This record gives sequence, structure tokens and C-alpha cells, in this order.
Amino acid sequence: MAEVEAFKIRRKEEKKRSARMEDFLFTLKLIFHNRIAFAGLVITLAYFIIAIIDYADPRWLGVSNLSDALAFLHGKAYYPSATLVTPPTLAHGWYYWLGTTEYGIPILPDMLAALKVDLTLSVEIVLSGALIGLILGTVSAYYGGLIDEAMMRITDIFFSIPALILALAIAFIIGLTFTNIALAFIIVWWPIYARLGRSLTLSIKNMNFIEAANAAGSSSARNIFYHVIPGVLSPLFVQFSLDIGTVVQLFAALEFLGVVPVDPFLPELGRMMVWGETYLIYGKWWAVIIPAIFLMIFTISVSLLGDGLRDVLDPRQRR
Amino acid sequence: MELRYFIIRRILLLIPTLIGLTLLTFILVRALPTSLLLSQYVNPHSTLPRSVQIAHAKALLGLNYPVPVQYFFYLSALFHGEWGFMVSNFYTGPVLTGIEEFFPNTLQLTIFAVILSIIISIPLGTYIGSRPNSVADHAGRIFSLAVYAMPAFVLALVLQIVLGRGAITGNPLGVFPISGTFNYALVPFPVPSWLTSPNTSALVSHPTHLIIFDALIHHNYAIAYSGLLHIVLPVITLTLGILAGIVRFLRAGMMDNMRQEYVKTARAKGVPENVIIKRHIRKNALIPTVTVLGLLFASLLGGVVLIEDVFDYPGMGLLGINAITSYSIYGVMGVTLVFGLVLVFANLIVDVVYAFLDPRIRY
Repeated sequence: MAEVEAFKIRRKEEKKRSARMEDFLFTLKLIFHNRIAFAGLVITLAYFIIAIIDYADPRWLGVSNLSDALAFLHGKAYYPSATLVTPPTLAHGWYYWLGTTEYGIPILPDMLAALKVDLTLSVEIVLSGALIGLILGTVSAYYGGLIDEAMMRITDIFFSIPALILALAIAFIIGLTFTNIALAFIIVWWPIYARLGRSLTLSIKNMNFIEAANAAGSSSARNIFYHVIPGVLSPLFVQFSLDIGTVVQLFAALEFLGVVPVDPFLPELGRMMVWGETYLIYGKWWAVIIPAIFLMIFTISVSLLGDGLRDVLDPRQRR
Repeated sequence: MELRYFIIRRILLLIPTLIGLTLLTFILVRALPTSLLLSQYVNPHSTLPRSVQIAHAKALLGLNYPVPVQYFFYLSALFHGEWGFMVSNFYTGPVLTGIEEFFPNTLQLTIFAVILSIIISIPLGTYIGSRPNSVADHAGRIFSLAVYAMPAFVLALVLQIVLGRGAITGNPLGVFPISGTFNYALVPFPVPSWLTSPNTSALVSHPTHLIIFDALIHHNYAIAYSGLLHIVLPVITLTLGILAGIVRFLRAGMMDNMRQEYVKTARAKGVPENVIIKRHIRKNALIPTVTVLGLLFASLLGGVVLIEDVFDYPGMGLLGINAITSYSIYGVMGVTLVFGLVLVFANLIVDVVYAFLDPRIRY
């Protein structure tokens, strides 16, 4: 008897899983049919795969950085001069396809190495911000009342200062280092998700299935984590994908302003642009424009993917 | 609800936001280690013993009181115009005086950028939105995406290279100056009193602190023209930054309204197409666009910091950056507070305009 019961339960779970799988495959199919979103997906994945390969073993990319360049230059009479900044060329192998920047560092491998740092940073920032915001937003909206009101006033305060300036002020107080600025960005980033999560929760919490869950004796915490949050996730994911590109840009901007200490040994897109800017007036455009375009392609593809996801995950369009 | 009551309610709602804003800056200042705050008030060359100086500074800052009481001291200092003192290469003096001298420049840049972007984006958005999926539509979308995805400072650098005077030698397009507020070579030799400031190495004009208007007031048309040329590139960069957002929203709004029943009615009774687009569809499409203006203004204020840095335009952004790099706590907090106040009041204006345009939200 017990075996039959267990079989039934397993069967049920399998059915549920296959329904989920079908749902997921359907989403993929929709994305595949939306050609622009698909292109965005492919490019974004390529960027992330490069970063992951770099995590696995940097040698696979043949990545060069400042220490490599200095080791290469060791023993030669060395001056950090504009002569080491050479234009894009096909002559010396793929390392030098996109030219070199300061200290003779080849741009292409440096950019590939930079993805590891930049993408990790932006995913860390946006993910932490999203998690904090999601939990605070849904919980406050679910319980309502005084908590909700207080929550809204707090997010209001955060929204009343431009994000870049608030992040700078917070980072200034906790100390201007690379990590602290990431922390400051997390502090600045969560209110967006709290607002979004709140408004979505408000629309979900009075629906029938929540009432049914209540009637079945589900606790508030269970309601929030099993019923509300899954319903809130997909619009949040869209915002998430849009923010990942923005954070890399903001970081680059802060480095450009000279408030983040630039670590020459850390391959990073913002640092590359800051270095390249010095050579722009000598007509050596590639040192800044190429990293900028590399970043631009990422931001564009991520936002195309986000737009596509918004269409695909919208239940009105799925029917 | 009448518009009047809506405005009064909205202004009353401002109070908790303003309290929160000042609370935030207060918490940020107090989050610093007390010794770091006090160190600014201790003079190593003074004959007074260090302990006495520290006791004086503590009494001066009200650090002997509980923290909630200190907040009220902070508020009272803000209301009395005592925003602290900052020391930097760029500006040395009371923070409030610095804000007074440099804020007009920032305001000028942002206001010009907002006006220019509205002038360009509304016809552009109308044109693109009324022709969905045409060549112009795709070109517009690609352009707006590209501008959105480009880091603001890179855009500024590219503009400096392409349109900037002296960035590349022999560039026929290089017309516009790339840094500063006006050409200092035009200043007459005994520097006129309206052009000097005791606190800063930058030439700050009086009485409005805006070089264009002050030069016009004092009949120095060469300087006024030079000032006008100098704001062209920063304003273009700022405009491009928010243009894309407005065009995108306007396009979406236009396309939404195209399918509405009232458009069919208007067509059926024989209203000319361009009147339908301009008077019926665009007016309705503009309503949701107004709501993003507040958000875009926030990003504009963030962008102005970068733009001022690239173009070396002495405004709040440069003041803030210099305060940060020279570790002036009060300078940083003053600039943060002012940016916050500007954004809060900009949002107030946006809300009032929205309520004026769309009576539904007053209820």
C-alpha cells in the first residue's frame, strides 16, 4: 500500500516537473523566435562564458596583463611612453589584433580578462541588491500597514538622491576602495528592487490562490516564499538583466572620475578606458574607443535580452 | 480633488522626504569615526594643548549630546546656513558659498539640456512613433540604444575629438572649445570686480554666477559669446544621454494610442492624419512620458558630475569630486544634500505637471 502511495506521489512530482520543463522549453522557443532577443542572449552568454573560462583557467585565453607585460619588458630600456601604444594590426597574431594600450599591454586579451572582474562585480552588486530588495519589498507589501509605510518612506529617501552621487557619498564615508564602492552600490541598488517587488506583491497578494493557500493553513512565511516570490521573479529578472550592464558602466565612470583607486594589475574595462583617455589627444583612439565599444556591445545585448524577456515572460503574450 | 489641493498635499508629503534626506546625510557624517571628525578641528601648530582643543571641538560639534539631539543641532545649523568648511585645490571656503557660486553653472547645464532634449525628442518621437517598423523607426531605435549603452564620458571624449577646437589639429569641424566656462584670454587686464571670487582659482562672475548673463549685464559681448560656445558640447552630451529615454517612451506611448478607439472615431469623421497624430495621439502619449522625466532628471544629475569633470566646467560636480579627493566631509555632504534637494523639487514639479495633464491621478 505504502509503495503505491509513494509511486503516486512520485508520479505527481514528475508531472509537475515535466510541466515546468515544458514551460521552460516554451520560453526558450519564444526567445528563439524573437531574433533580436536571441542575438542578445547569444552575445550575453558569450561574454559570460569567456568570464567563466577565465575563472577555470586563465591560460586557456592566453591572457596577458600588466605583470606579463612588465616581465616581457624586463631587461629592456623601458619608459612608459606613447610608443608602446600601437594601433590594431593583423601582423603579430590575435594578441595584437586590437592594438596595445599603455605599457604595451595587448588590448584584446586584456579585455577578455577584464570580463571576469567586471561581470563578477556587476552580478555580485545587482544580485545582492535584488535579493535584499526582493525580500524587503515582498515582506513589507505582504504584511502592509506600518511596515509597508516605513519601507516606502525609506525607499523614497534613497530615490531622492541621484544614485551615482549617493553611492559616491556612501563610499566616501566607508572608505574609497574597490570593495567599498561595490558595497556602496549594493546599498544604493536595493530600493529599486524593493519598489518593484512591492508593487508586484500588492497585485498578487489579493489573488485567489493566496486565499486558497491561507485556507489550506499555509503560514505567512510559506505564502511569501512559495507563492508570492515565484510570481514576482520574472519581472524582477528583466530589471536584473537591464541593470547588469549599467553597473559596469557606472563603475567605469567612477574610475574615470578618479575617485576609485585604479589598480594597474587588475584587468578591468574602466581602468583600460581611463588609461586610453591619456592617449586620445595623440590620435591613438583605439586605446579608449575599443574597450568602450566592447562594453557597449555588452550593454546593448543585455538590454535587448531584457526587452525580449519582458515580452516573453509577459503572461498576456504567452497565450 | 482640485489641482490646488493636490499641490498642497504633495507639498506636505515633501516634509517626510526632506527629513529623511537630512537624516541620511546626518547618519553618513556620524558614521565616520569621531576621531576623524575631530581631527579636522585640531591645529597641531597651536599653543593650546591637544586635549583642550578636542574638548572645544566636541563642544562645538555637540558631540557631548545624545545622537538624536545632535540631529536637531545639525538641522538648525543647516537652516542657519552653516554647512561647514571645505579645503581643496578647486575651492576653499564655506561650503554654502561654494554651492552658491557653482550651483548656477550646473543648473544652467541641466536646464539647457532638458530644454534641448524636449525640443528634439518630441518631434522625433512623434515622427518615429507614427511610423512603426519603418526605416526611421529602426534607425532611431538603434541610435537610442547605442547612445544609452555608451558610457557618458566616452561620448563626451568622442564629441571633444570630433567637434572640439584644438583636440585634433586641422579638424574643420573643431569649432567648440572643450574646457572651462569661457576664454580667459578675453578677460581685460585689471580684472573687473564682477569676475573675481576670493575663494576659488576659477573665475566666478557676479551677480548671477552665470558667465553668459553676467557678461551681458556688464556689456562684455565677447565673453558672453565665448561662454555660449563653451556650453555647447557639455549640453549636447547631456542631451544625448536623456534623449534616448524620452524618445523611447514617446514611441511606445504613440504606438499604444494608435490602436485606441478614439483614433478610429477621429479617422471616421475625417480628421486629417497629421491633426490626429499631433493633437489626439501625441497629447495622450506625452502623459506617461512626463512620469519618466523625473527618473531621467535623476540620471541627468548623475551624468552632470561626469560631464563637468570631462569638460572641466566648474559646477557642483567638480565641487563634489574635489571635496571627495581632498577628504572634505562637509563638502561631500553639502553637494549630496543639494543634489537631493534639486531632485526632490524636480519630482515635485513633474508630479504637479502630471496631475495637471491627467486629472485622473488627482483622485
